[in-house]
Amino acid sequence: MSALWAVYKREVALFFRSTIAYAIAFGVLLFMGVLFSATVTQFVANNTSGFAQQLATADMAIVGMLGTLAFLMFIIAPLLTMRLLAEETREGTLEVLMTLPMHDWAFVLGKFFAVWTFYTFILACTLAYVVMLAGMGVPDAGILFAGYLGAWLYGGVTLALSMVWSALTEDQIVAAFLGAATILVFYLSDALALIANGRGFTAGATDFLRELSLVAHYQETMMQGILRGEDVAYFVLLTVAALFVTSVLVGTRRWRAS
Amino acid sequence: MITVDHLTKRYGDVAAVRDISFTAENGQVTGFLGPNGAGKTTTMRVLTGFTPPTSGRALVGGFDVFEQSMNVRRVVGYLPENVPLYRDLTPYEYLMYLGEIRGLRERKARAQAVLARVGLSARSNSRIRTLSKGMKQRVGLAAALLHDPQVLILDEPTIGLDPLQVLELRQLVAELGREHTVLFSTHILSEAEQVCDKIVIINGGQIIAQGTPQALRDQLARGGRVVVRVAGDLEAARAVLAALPAVQEAVLDRDSVVVTPADSSADLRPDAAQALMAQGFGLLEVRSLAVNLEDIFIELTRREVGAQKEEVA
Ligand SMILES: Nc1ncnc2c1ncn2[C@@H]1O[C@H](COP(=O)(O)OP(=O)(O)OP(=O)(O)O)[C@@H](O)[C@H]1O
Ligand SMILES: [Mg+2]
Repeated sequence: MSALWAVYKREVALFFRSTIAYAIAFGVLLFMGVLFSATVTQFVANNTSGFAQQLATADMAIVGMLGTLAFLMFIIAPLLTMRLLAEETREGTLEVLMTLPMHDWAFVLGKFFAVWTFYTFILACTLAYVVMLAGMGVPDAGILFAGYLGAWLYGGVTLALSMVWSALTEDQIVAAFLGAATILVFYLSDALALIANGRGFTAGATDFLRELSLVAHYQETMMQGILRGEDVAYFVLLTVAALFVTSVLVGTRRWRAS
Repeated sequence: MITVDHLTKRYGDVAAVRDISFTAENGQVTGFLGPNGAGKTTTMRVLTGFTPPTSGRALVGGFDVFEQSMNVRRVVGYLPENVPLYRDLTPYEYLMYLGEIRGLRERKARAQAVLARVGLSARSNSRIRTLSKGMKQRVGLAAALLHDPQVLILDEPTIGLDPLQVLELRQLVAELGREHTVLFSTHILSEAEQVCDKIVIINGGQIIAQGTPQALRDQLARGGRVVVRVAGDLEAARAVLAALPAVQEAVLDRDSVVVTPADSSADLRPDAAQALMAQGFGLLEVRSLAVNLEDIFIELTRREVGAQKEEVA
């Protein structure tokens, strides 16, 4: 436990000292802020009066913002995770770490929790936009809670998925591209299920594709304020699976030792 | 204590280390000597639990490197070959980080103590990226010493150091050898000779000789060449020596004759002295040519490479 905590603390410190990490956070927040103001301005222009209208606007703005963040994760997650393991391999420090009395999973978890913490920081910053909405009316608590919980889990799973590649290659750029591709596959598998449907694929296969999809478990449910246990379970299981694979891959470094 | 028992490590088709066996005792410095690509680093990576053996066994501090890897990692201090470090940290921060991963108590005191021991106290708060190569090497050594390990495995610790630092480091290694089991690799024979209680010579993935420096010298250099000095005509003396049946070759070398025996295990000195005295030469000196382990090492490793080439052909 002491080992996991040590790795976590070092990695968190690295994130909060990294100009690149701040640049990513700033870019994301700026992008979301622009979209957010656009949504609000548009709705205000169309609906000049009415309390109910204002509330709907607030909800729309939040949902739109979270949707944007979720979509952008295919870029954000790989950028945040590409360095995590690849750099240790490249610099040779992995040889030091792997000859310390520390389990591979403790090392991987320490790294993962650190990057998830930085993501949580970015997510927390978006709450500033929510506060701005307070002037227009209080947004729906369900949407706020389920939406943010979902966004948090969504971030975790995309980070874990892209981290797998950082364990596999010591080239950060390659890790980033493969990470982005992996997330897109999970993002689009909903759409793939639609395409596959009625084209000779069994119902089981299309259902499976749909169940695998990020969109089916976030954008269509939690983001709309619908909290379902199965969605939370999906995120947790997929995250654990990705971390397990990462941990095994780090272990195989011993066989591939360069 | 390190026990290596018929250890083999393959990378794909390449056997980096083939069926090697040796031990390193407590309270001794064991030198692991071999040319580039001999398999030193590979062996050390197996011993530190970084990479598993293909076959055979190795015990470090009584623990099996594969079955009881965590225990092995607890008792070993390891300095990897090119000294990987976190360049953004200071030596002190780096040691505190490793100490926390190891779950050490009294980390601060330990970190300060080992930094003092390697002579880095003054730079303990400079970023590692600003340190010189020799200082980085010492940070790596401090990291290996941090938890006061029973076994120290140092992969070429003196490479890239200036002569003074090399001397200091050898001294430190010799000191450490009194309390710990030290295995350290080098391709400089004189270094192994100076520091080690025992030398294991490896080449092409196989051990070709092992023993104390003295034993190696005796074993490998038996019946080497003999140097003869006489009062009188040197060329005539050379002719007398060259005519002896046991002599392969006798050549002039400034004021003496160097005699090479046909059978390298024979001692030429009695015969040579007798023959010269019988011919009326005044003997000034008959001695074995000082055996230089370096020569033997070079010859041995060359011979092995030659033998391997023949095998392949
Ligand atoms: N990861 C690897 N993959 C494939 N072959 C390897 C690997 N590591 C080492 N080898 C091979 O194993 C052999 C022994 O290498 P090793 O690094 O153990 O030598 P060494 O004695 O440490 O040499 P040096 O003095 O140059 O450090 C070499 O032929 C090397 O090419
Ligand atoms: Mg080496």
